[in-house]
Amino acid sequence: MLLHAEDLGKTYGASVETVALQSVSFDLHSGEFAAIIGESGSGKSTLLNLIGLLDTPTTGRVVLNGHDTAAANRKQRAAMRNDFIGFVFQFHYLLPEFSVLENVLMPGRIAGVGAADLRPRAQEVLALLGLDGLENKGANDLSGGQKQRVAIARALMNRPALVLADEPTGNLDTANTKAVYELFRELNRELGTAFMIVTHDRRVAQQTDRILEVRDGLLLQDVRNSYVKSGPAGETELEEEPERGPAERAEPAGPALAPRPAAAGGPAPSV
Amino acid sequence: MLSLRIAARFLRKSPAQSILIAAGIAIGIGVQVFLGSLITSLQTSLVDQTIGNSPQLIVQAGTAGAPLDYTAALQQAMNSESLITTVVPTRSFSGIFKKGAESAPLQFVGGQLAELDTIYDLSGRLTAGKAELGDKQVMVGKDFADNYGLKPGDTATIVLPDGKSGDLTVSGVFDFGSAAANSTTAFVDAAYAAGVLGLTADQYTAVDAQVSNVFDSRAVAESLRAQPALNGLKVTEWQAQNADLLSALQSQSSSSYMIQFFVLVAVALGIASTLAISAVQKTRQIGILKAMGMKDRQSGRIFFWQALILGVSGAAVGVGAGLALIALFTFLGRNSTSLFPITPQVGFVVISFVVGVLVAVGSSLIPSRRTSKLDPIEVIQGG
Repeated sequence: MLLHAEDLGKTYGASVETVALQSVSFDLHSGEFAAIIGESGSGKSTLLNLIGLLDTPTTGRVVLNGHDTAAANRKQRAAMRNDFIGFVFQFHYLLPEFSVLENVLMPGRIAGVGAADLRPRAQEVLALLGLDGLENKGANDLSGGQKQRVAIARALMNRPALVLADEPTGNLDTANTKAVYELFRELNRELGTAFMIVTHDRRVAQQTDRILEVRDGLLLQDVRNSYVKSGPAGETELEEEPERGPAERAEPAGPALAPRPAAAGGPAPSV
Repeated sequence: MLSLRIAARFLRKSPAQSILIAAGIAIGIGVQVFLGSLITSLQTSLVDQTIGNSPQLIVQAGTAGAPLDYTAALQQAMNSESLITTVVPTRSFSGIFKKGAESAPLQFVGGQLAELDTIYDLSGRLTAGKAELGDKQVMVGKDFADNYGLKPGDTATIVLPDGKSGDLTVSGVFDFGSAAANSTTAFVDAAYAAGVLGLTADQYTAVDAQVSNVFDSRAVAESLRAQPALNGLKVTEWQAQNADLLSALQSQSSSSYMIQFFVLVAVALGIASTLAISAVQKTRQIGILKAMGMKDRQSGRIFFWQALILGVSGAAVGVGAGLALIALFTFLGRNSTSLFPITPQVGFVVISFVVGVLVAVGSSLIPSRRTSKLDPIEVIQGG
């Protein structure tokens, strides 16, 4: 199991308490392609930040790749983020002081690997995202869609087992939005990378295999996509779904490869 | 060294800000180097003028006027003090110079020219005639010679303490750089002085000494007083005789330290505030670096490196500017007698450089701490 979230809760404020999230539990397996949906303020970003180890839960715990992160200190959590997780945010957060290539190298450099050793991998990821030839451009010299693709390339740099994306296409036009999701799906299929995508757009969510819907800080439903009905009804069938393992769900076409071995030189995809 | 590379890149991408901070450090350290060297040189020049060419330590007989036996034990005691550089036994007496109706008191110092030179540097300060102290020869000061129209080869008549008068031939004229010393001091041969004072060959009126660092004279005097060979003898040193000069020097030093201190404080505040602004400007970058897994300490080091780069470059430029100012000052004052030479003190320049770097690095503590404490979530949520 890649991720185990258990009774996650987050409360903000000392004197006036605001409950952002409460008792959310679910499991995520390697290679899953899931969406977290909800209205703005529902707690979906809070949930993503908790499982991304960017924030600490008030209650419950996150077990990532077998590591219980509840006991981890800031340093260990930073190392786990670097190792297991790739982030894509609504805003690209590229470092404007650095070139496209340097931005993509950054997660590897943080892991302590030399730039020369990382270069082939960075070229690979850039090529995968159709960014060849832009290596030496400044991060600010790109179009919005290109910036977001560089951000995705950067998220993939360290061959993460899980990519967490928070409204990744919020700043993009329709064509770019479509391209990004197609890319996510392709990466998921070819590299076996698990994706959790936060979105408020139900149509986007319906492209995924699994939807976790958050409302008022509670996990309202957790369903395999084939069961999801459009519209607000449909909660009844959903409670049994979380227990299902990944093997039972409808697999997307193509080989479902474990991310790391595949990335290290699996047969078909060359990333 | 990822944090160093990031620091260097941040600096390069905000050139105006970087140059501003480095210039602040440079000005501070430049002022520091110039002011420090100026004050030190001024003091050296003052001390040198006042006591550089006079004995800094004098050993005399316990009773005023009594002859001092320059025994082997006394010589050994003087030589045992490692801080003493020069020991010259002298025979001093006062006399009155007479020329027609005019007369002037003169203080005569009798000794061997070679020995006297080690303290008074008569040969080096010669302005006319020859540096020579033979029998019945006298060397007089420039102002004295000018006042009474004396030239080398002239005869000077003096009235000795016992009332007899004698004629001395002026061999040379010296300039001590002080009208008072030039008008009242004259030098004669040791044997002549012995005759005037009625002393035997190993009897003197005083043993004069100089020490390697003039401010050590007090300690050396203490140590000499404790030696059995100097039992019953009187040891005086210049600092006890020049309390006013000393307190002037001390207040000059402390005012200079004050100025230097506040210059550094101003520099430190300037760097700290600019770095703090820079840290705020880079919050987003630091936040995303941390989200990608950069550790708190590594991110904190970014601003440490920035400060170190700025400190080293700023302090280096500052040292250069300070030395250039000194050179300019010396150049402008090359023909002036009222200006004194400024000698840059290597030790002081090195200290100023190190202090500049330390101040810069110290100023990075706040932004570094801020950066290490930054939670990536603050950036991600606010983004």
